[in-house]
Amino acid sequence: MESLGINYRAIGPELVLTVTGVLVMLLEAFSPGKKVRDGILAAAGIVLAGVAALALWEEGPVTAFSRMVIVDGFRVFFTLVILLGTLLTIFVSWGFLDEERIPPGEYFALLLFGAVGMTLLVAGNDLMILFLALETITIATYVLAGYRREDLRSTESALKYFLLGAFSSAFLLYGIALLYGATRTTNLAEMARVVSGPLGQAEIVLLMAGAAMLLIGFGFKVTTVPFHVWTPDVYEGAPTPVTAFLSTAPKAAGFAAFLRVFSLTFPPLGIESAADQLASHWVAAVTAMSILSMTFGNFIAIAQTNIKRMLAYSSIAHAGYVLIGVLARDWAAVAFYMLVYTIMNLGCFAIVALWARRGDERVLIAEYAGLGFRQPLLSFPLAIFLVSLAGFPGTAGFVAKFWLFKSAWGAGFPELVIIGVLMTVVSVYYYLYVVIVMFFREPKEEVPRVPLSRAFVAAMVVALVGVFYLGLLPTRVFAVLNTAQNLLAIGQR
Amino acid sequence: MTTIPISWYLAVAAVLFTIGAVTVFVKRNALVMLLGIELMLNAANLTAVTFSSYFRELAGQILVFFVMVVAAAEAAVGLAIIVLLFRHRETLNVDEAQLLKL
Amino acid sequence: MLMKAPMMLFLQTDPIYGYLPIVVLLFLAALFPALVLGIGRLLRPMKPEAPKLSPYECGVDPILDARERFSVRYYIIAMLFLIFDVETVFLFPWAVIYDKLALFGLIEMAIFLGLLIVGYYYAWRKGALEWT
Repeated sequence: MESLGINYRAIGPELVLTVTGVLVMLLEAFSPGKKVRDGILAAAGIVLAGVAALALWEEGPVTAFSRMVIVDGFRVFFTLVILLGTLLTIFVSWGFLDEERIPPGEYFALLLFGAVGMTLLVAGNDLMILFLALETITIATYVLAGYRREDLRSTESALKYFLLGAFSSAFLLYGIALLYGATRTTNLAEMARVVSGPLGQAEIVLLMAGAAMLLIGFGFKVTTVPFHVWTPDVYEGAPTPVTAFLSTAPKAAGFAAFLRVFSLTFPPLGIESAADQLASHWVAAVTAMSILSMTFGNFIAIAQTNIKRMLAYSSIAHAGYVLIGVLARDWAAVAFYMLVYTIMNLGCFAIVALWARRGDERVLIAEYAGLGFRQPLLSFPLAIFLVSLAGFPGTAGFVAKFWLFKSAWGAGFPELVIIGVLMTVVSVYYYLYVVIVMFFREPKEEVPRVPLSRAFVAAMVVALVGVFYLGLLPTRVFAVLNTAQNLLAIGQR
Repeated sequence: MTTIPISWYLAVAAVLFTIGAVTVFVKRNALVMLLGIELMLNAANLTAVTFSSYFRELAGQILVFFVMVVAAAEAAVGLAIIVLLFRHRETLNVDEAQLLKL
Repeated sequence: MLMKAPMMLFLQTDPIYGYLPIVVLLFLAALFPALVLGIGRLLRPMKPEAPKLSPYECGVDPILDARERFSVRYYIIAMLFLIFDVETVFLFPWAVIYDKLALFGLIEMAIFLGLLIVGYYYAWRKGALEWT
């Protein structure tokens, strides 16, 4: 029995989330439509899962369940980012659930099940777990994307997300099967050991093909060009709180898996090995994906008139920046970036969701005209989040980009850093355009003020505090991440 | 008795995968596209089982168990979405998606 | 033991004899329905009428246009069946090493089935199984 390595503490956060999700679902079946009860229960489950994750912080790199699950700082930090994203999504959805008269129980349950998949994706140390976790995320989010059933846009976006998501999953799975053929294992630690030596000719071919398939699969999930085609339509069609969720937590989890597989399992070793042969290829491919995502995302975003589409392209551009961190193999920089991105993007979408009102009617950038001084409680936070997304100094967005670019410069990718900085300058244009419309354009007709719910205010406070705390005093978080990174490096040796 | 070489199984799987992928690209009916995706998943399954029996090891077969269940769950959700869409539009042709281009 | 040894030897001479149990089963499988139907025919009263003689089709008129539209309920129940049917696939590997996993495996499987029952209960409460 010991050989199975059963250790329930190692999957504590996942267990807590699953139990809470099932409980919410059962309560919904017993007595439907109790939003406050279900929401508080879901939020409590997330907080408890966070505590369970924090309890693993001291554990250092250990594995459990036949080495299928790993416990390290990397996992704990990403788990916390995901939980924060899910918690904020619950706050953001609070008013939306009333307005749309959507059954709340299933909504929260699906969010929780999605979060289970994400945390498991981060914890996975085996390609099988990665696949299962990824599917858990996507199946939950397909349903969420189509949650506004009477709305054709929402249904179409769900269908599109489903078809392309399942398509990319098939690539991912085929990649896993080929990698298994090349290395005789699905375990990432074992795989890293196998590829650190030379392999036969046939195995190299399988390894290359498998890694390419995996790259396509992950490329879809983290919305990088040229695998981004679904992103703008799905982000536009899905209900705005769901878009907020889709663009943050699953992406953080996706990047974690990307890092775990490519940066940590197939690193360029600098010696004669299969990993080195593979690395020269994946580094080139990811460099291309990064450059394409940054340029394409930012330039197309300029042309958008719909704010949800604009933020979708902005999200593609940010995926491009994060890929630089993946190339630099600095997971701490990526983790910090995803934390910051989750906070500022959710903040942005919270306001967009509120302003869009019932049925997502008011989503054009032009319709933000005059918001500025008429409802400053909406316009000022939105301006701050947009400025942070653009990466102005003093905000978290700047610190995150700075760390990412600095580490990439040190790792020998100066050309990517230069492109990244140039594209950041381009992005200022479309982020500030919204701010200008809000403050300096007069609306065509007088618009009534939007009532603010308490949950919305709570989300705003958390997000604003996050943006400024991480923007002005990031040293504490840096120190924590650096410690974890050092521990992980020792554990790997 | 001669055994069939492993490369044949892999070739069949690769062909199946390609057929599935091409189906998704070429066909415009959501149900047929779903069929193509299922074909791709099964091609991956065949590859995994082939390696599993070649290595005389079980990981590949365990993977297939999970994939089967995941594929069923995915198909159920996908069919639900397709039924919902049909109620809206009375057609399954994805090109007629007017609000969001596919 | 004395009976078994020569039997094993006999089976090992040619692998084709390994299929012997299947042949026996085939014979039994053919015999059983023939027997049951034959006895039934001898015992039951015979009062044929049109609906009784038509092919069994779950109460639906067997001759219809195949392209008739079905109620969406069919699809919901089909989806539920699909999921619960496939989930049972995990019972097979568990059953194979049941004796090695012992109580631990039993409890784990009970939890797994419990989760399935929760899903079933949910579908039931939500009226997914009702035909109205």
